[in-house]
Amino acid sequence: MSILEARNVAYSYDGRRAVLKNVSAAFEAGRIYAITGPSGCGKTTLLSLLGGLDSPTGGQILFEGEDISKKGLAFHRKNNVAFIFQSYNLIDYMTPAENVALTSKRPPLPILERLGLTREESKRNVMRLSGGQQQRTAIARALASDAGVILADEPTGNLDGDTAAEIAAVLKECARRSNKCVIIVTHSEEVAGIADEVFWLRGGEIYGGEG
Amino acid sequence: MSFIKRAALYCIRQRLGTAVLFLTLTVIAVFLLTAVAIRDAAKSAAAGVRTAVGGKILLEPDTEGRMGGGVQNQWGTVYGYNGDLITQEIVNAISDVDGVVDYNSEDAAAYYGAGVDFKYLPAAFDLSYTPYGEASAYTATLSSEKCAAFQSGKYKLTAGRHIVPGDRHVCLISKELADYNGLSVGDSVKMYSLDSDSVAEFEIAGIFDGTEGASGNALTVDEIPANCGYIDYATMFELFKEELSGYQQLTIYVRNPDGVQNVCDRIAALPELKGKTLKLSVDTEEYDVVSAPLESLQKSVKITIAIIFAVSAAILTLLLTIRVRGRKREIGILLSVGMSKADIVLQLFAEAALTAVISFAAAVPLSIFAAKKAGDYLTAANLNVQINASYLLPLYIIGLLLIAAAVIASSWAVVCSTPKDILEKMS
Repeated sequence: MSILEARNVAYSYDGRRAVLKNVSAAFEAGRIYAITGPSGCGKTTLLSLLGGLDSPTGGQILFEGEDISKKGLAFHRKNNVAFIFQSYNLIDYMTPAENVALTSKRPPLPILERLGLTREESKRNVMRLSGGQQQRTAIARALASDAGVILADEPTGNLDGDTAAEIAAVLKECARRSNKCVIIVTHSEEVAGIADEVFWLRGGEIYGGEG
Repeated sequence: MSFIKRAALYCIRQRLGTAVLFLTLTVIAVFLLTAVAIRDAAKSAAAGVRTAVGGKILLEPDTEGRMGGGVQNQWGTVYGYNGDLITQEIVNAISDVDGVVDYNSEDAAAYYGAGVDFKYLPAAFDLSYTPYGEASAYTATLSSEKCAAFQSGKYKLTAGRHIVPGDRHVCLISKELADYNGLSVGDSVKMYSLDSDSVAEFEIAGIFDGTEGASGNALTVDEIPANCGYIDYATMFELFKEELSGYQQLTIYVRNPDGVQNVCDRIAALPELKGKTLKLSVDTEEYDVVSAPLESLQKSVKITIAIIFAVSAAILTLLLTIRVRGRKREIGILLSVGMSKADIVLQLFAEAALTAVISFAAAVPLSIFAAKKAGDYLTAANLNVQINASYLLPLYIIGLLLIAAAVIASSWAVVCSTPKDILEKMS
C-alpha cells in the first residue's frame, strides 16, 4: 500500500492557468522517488500539494489512504511529511541543534553527528555554516521528525558536485535505514539516478514511474 | 520546541530588533504612566479642593410679594417682610441633615455698640449720639470663621478663637482696637446699643488683623474697619427679643460640591421647611472657580492619554508589521515544519510580551523622574504627581492587550497566506 498518493490532482492559479492536470502518482515507504521536468512544469507545486503547503484545485492527496484535508494540512505537515528545501530554509537566529529541535523532542546532537556535523558546529549559528552543513542540518531536521515522507525540493541545487553527491547518498541511506519515503524534485541527473522511480512532469501532466 | 522558547531565543539573538521594540515600549509606558499620574494628581487635587471649599446652599426668606404693607414710624414708612423666618428650630433640623458639615448666618452691621468701658479709634467727626459716645458696627454671626472677610483671607484670626454656634456674649475685635484699648483675649467689654437701649457685656473670644491701613479719612467711627467686629447671634436674639425672631439668611456648607444638589433636596424635604416662605439656592461658584483649572487639566490629560494610546497602538502595529514582514521566510519555514498559525502568532506575541515585561519595569524609574519633572512644571497647579505601585497591574494588562491587538493586526496578512505562497515569495 502506498504511503502517499496524488489522485487526479489538478492545480491552477486563479482558476485559469492550469499548472497540474489530472496528476496521479503513488509513493511507497522505503523508496526514493525523483520528479523531474523543465522549469515551470509544476514540480515544486506538486511537491507543495503532496506536503500540504497548499490545497489542490482538483483531486485528492491521500496519506495512508486518507485525504489529508480531513485532518487538516497543518496536521499533515506536522505529522506526516518533512521538507528539505534548495535554500535550506533554516531559522537564521538558531543553531543547527535548535533547528532540528523545531520538529523533534529527541536530542538533536546524535542525528547531526550522524550527518557529519561536530558538536561544536551544531551549537554554532546556522548562518556561520557552509552550504553543505546547512543542507545537512535541514536533512537532520527532516529525519528527526517522525514523518514517514521526506519531500526534498532541489536539495542539491545550491551545492557543489561533491557535496551534492554526499547529500544524495545521505537521502538514499535515510530511505533505506529509516524506511522513509523520499520524494525529490530535481533537475540533477545524478540525483535522479539514485531514485527507485522517476516521474517526469511536462505540460502539467505526469509520466513515468519506473526507475 | 515551544513557542515561548522560540520567542526567548528570538529576543536574545535578534538584539537590534528587540532593542528597538524595547525602547518603543519603554517610551510608550513612560508617557502613559506619567500622563495617568498627572491625571490622578489633578483628580486628587480637585478632590482636595472639593473638601476644602465644599459646596454651599443658601437659605433665605422669599420676599417676592411678601413685603406687606408699610408701617409708619419716626423715620418714615417701613416695609417689612411678613413671611416666615429662619428659626433656630429650622437651623437645628438642617444641621442634622446628612451631608451638611457646617452652617452660618452672617448679618453685617446687625448690631451697633458704643464702647462703655473702651474707646474706638477716632474718626473725623465725633457725633456721640449715645450716652457712651459714638457706636460702631458689628456683624452678627453663628460661625465667624465662615464669614466672608475670613473666608477671603482679608481678615485673619491672630489670637483666641472664632465665634461658633452656641456662643453667647462673645465678640471678635480687631488687633488695632485691642491694642488701642490694651485689650486681649478673655477680657470683657461692655457695649451700649441704642436700638435695644441696653448695655451688654461681651467676652473677647478672638482678635483678628487685616484692618491695618484701611481707615483712610473716615468721617464716623463705624467707617473705620478696625472699629468694626463680630458678635454671636445668640446675644442678638437675647437683646432684641421679639424684634428679631429669626436669621436673615443661612449659608449651609456641604462637604462635596458634587453632592450639593442631593443635600439641597434633602433640606427642602424637611418638615420644618414644608410650606414655609423660604427659598433654597445652590451655590458652587467658589468651588467652580477654584476647580475649573484642575478640571480643565484633567480633561486635557484624558485627551492626551487617549491620543498617546492611539498613537502607541499605531506605532506598535507599524513596528510589528515591519518586523513580521521581515520574518516572512521564518514564518514560512515554521508553517512548513507543521507549526500552526496560532502557534506562530503566539510566538510573535510572546516575543513582544517578554520585551514588554522588561520595558514596562524599566519604565517605572523613568516615569518617576518624568512625573517629578511634570510636577515641577505644574507647580502652579500645586499637583503632587506620583507614580503609584497600583499603576503597574493595569499597565501590564492594558499593555499586553495592546500588544496582542498589534500582533494580530500586524501578522494578519502573513498568517492568512498559505505556506506555499509565503515560500514561493521567499524564493
